[in-house]
Amino acid sequence: MKWLVLVALGGCIIGKQSLDPPPNDVATVALLTGTLTHPLDGIARHPWFAVRMAGQDTWEIYEVGGGGSERDPFHHHQPYLTPIVHAVWRGAEAERAAACLEKHAGPWKAKLDYRFYPGPNSNTFGDAMLRACHLHASLPATAIGKDWRGAIGANITTEGTGIQIETPLLVFRIGLFEGVEVHVLGLAIGVDLWPPAIIVPLGPGRIGFADR
Amino acid sequence: MKALIVAAIVFASGRAEARTDWMRIGREVQGGAWLHYEATILQQITDDTAPVPDQLILAGVRLHGFLSTSASVAYHIGMDLAAGGTLHGGGFAYDVALFPIGVGVRFGRTSIATVGLGVGAIGATGTLDDAVTLPLEVNLEMGSGRLRLLARGRAAYVAGAASRHDGAPSAPFADELDATIGLRVGHHYEEYDFPTGNGYFVGASYRELAGAKFVGLTIGYSIDLAQPRRFRQPEPEVIDNRGERRCDARGRNCVRLL
Repeated sequence: MKWLVLVALGGCIIGKQSLDPPPNDVATVALLTGTLTHPLDGIARHPWFAVRMAGQDTWEIYEVGGGGSERDPFHHHQPYLTPIVHAVWRGAEAERAAACLEKHAGPWKAKLDYRFYPGPNSNTFGDAMLRACHLHASLPATAIGKDWRGAIGANITTEGTGIQIETPLLVFRIGLFEGVEVHVLGLAIGVDLWPPAIIVPLGPGRIGFADR
Repeated sequence: MKALIVAAIVFASGRAEARTDWMRIGREVQGGAWLHYEATILQQITDDTAPVPDQLILAGVRLHGFLSTSASVAYHIGMDLAAGGTLHGGGFAYDVALFPIGVGVRFGRTSIATVGLGVGAIGATGTLDDAVTLPLEVNLEMGSGRLRLLARGRAAYVAGAASRHDGAPSAPFADELDATIGLRVGHHYEEYDFPTGNGYFVGASYRELAGAKFVGLTIGYSIDLAQPRRFRQPEPEVIDNRGERRCDARGRNCVRLL
């Protein structure tokens, strides 16, 4: 019963990262997601990487279906709603990540044979860039398509502390911090060990503390 | 050779006609869908010592759609997929069904009532024999404001698993019964002239299974979207030049005038 009550409160995250952009004293790379437009806003999110080099005022956006420069992709990134910051890299790490995104994003998108569901889609791109650039972060459970590997695949998790097996029907993930997560037809359910949260296929994808 | 050329022309004209028809169908078809993510916890309320679980928790998805050239009556298709467990028994439980045949009646802005016939399977390890079911399901989705009524009832006939035959005490005509009624509180949108909606819902569930009765609570999240209902306009009639025939605007369905 407690579990049902928690699910009913779907969308609760404690300790979300601030949506205020960091200062431009050093290079910054941020991973954000926003919801799709109505009525899918409760069940599906879309990721984008925002890149800004030291001293610059605008951010370069890397995503599927968009791109270019924006002044504040932390608060306004049309047409996506309710942005969440999942990870921020700063300084030398961000410079390395920016160069990597510049190198890999274009060719990956050029080869993309887009399919809204179950993938490959914009979330597959987000996952692929995290892996290609060795950026340790997780996309939320409602980023449907992030685990698309075709008929079958297996990987280390993007956090680097777990393993996962993926098929279009079923995904199974287990990790030291990632906990246990099962996706059936893209719908995720599980338990994140640290920071603790219940993983649900709704809203921001978790009930509990914000992701690492 | 001549025959081949004639055949090719006939075939090509047939394909052109087919293309035209597909475009027309594309313009005339209207449809929609609804999706539920839901979790249900059921508690057995009978004192029987029937070999069924005392509690049943199921979580899953219901995806239903409808398609039609009419604004009121539509072909309906759907699937219900749920998995979970028996709380104290610790067993795995599942309840899946596919409804390939169905009919829906649309009313109001986005409301619909459907009846679907399908095939399914329900079981729970250790406590509920696996069985193939032939379910008849009625769905009602009503309301296009902040509130939406969601109701569902299912009578199923069990194939195999003899212990589950005649397992619905209230329904001599079926082996199993299952019903949920819920109220969604959420939003209604009219963006791009498409009526859509979403929101969380809570409901009461009732089930009769293997001779036992269950009551429970269902919570979930629901989305509905549909094309606006387009009622067919009477087509203008055209009378040919000689005043001998009356046809529709496309020059078809001609009637010879007396």
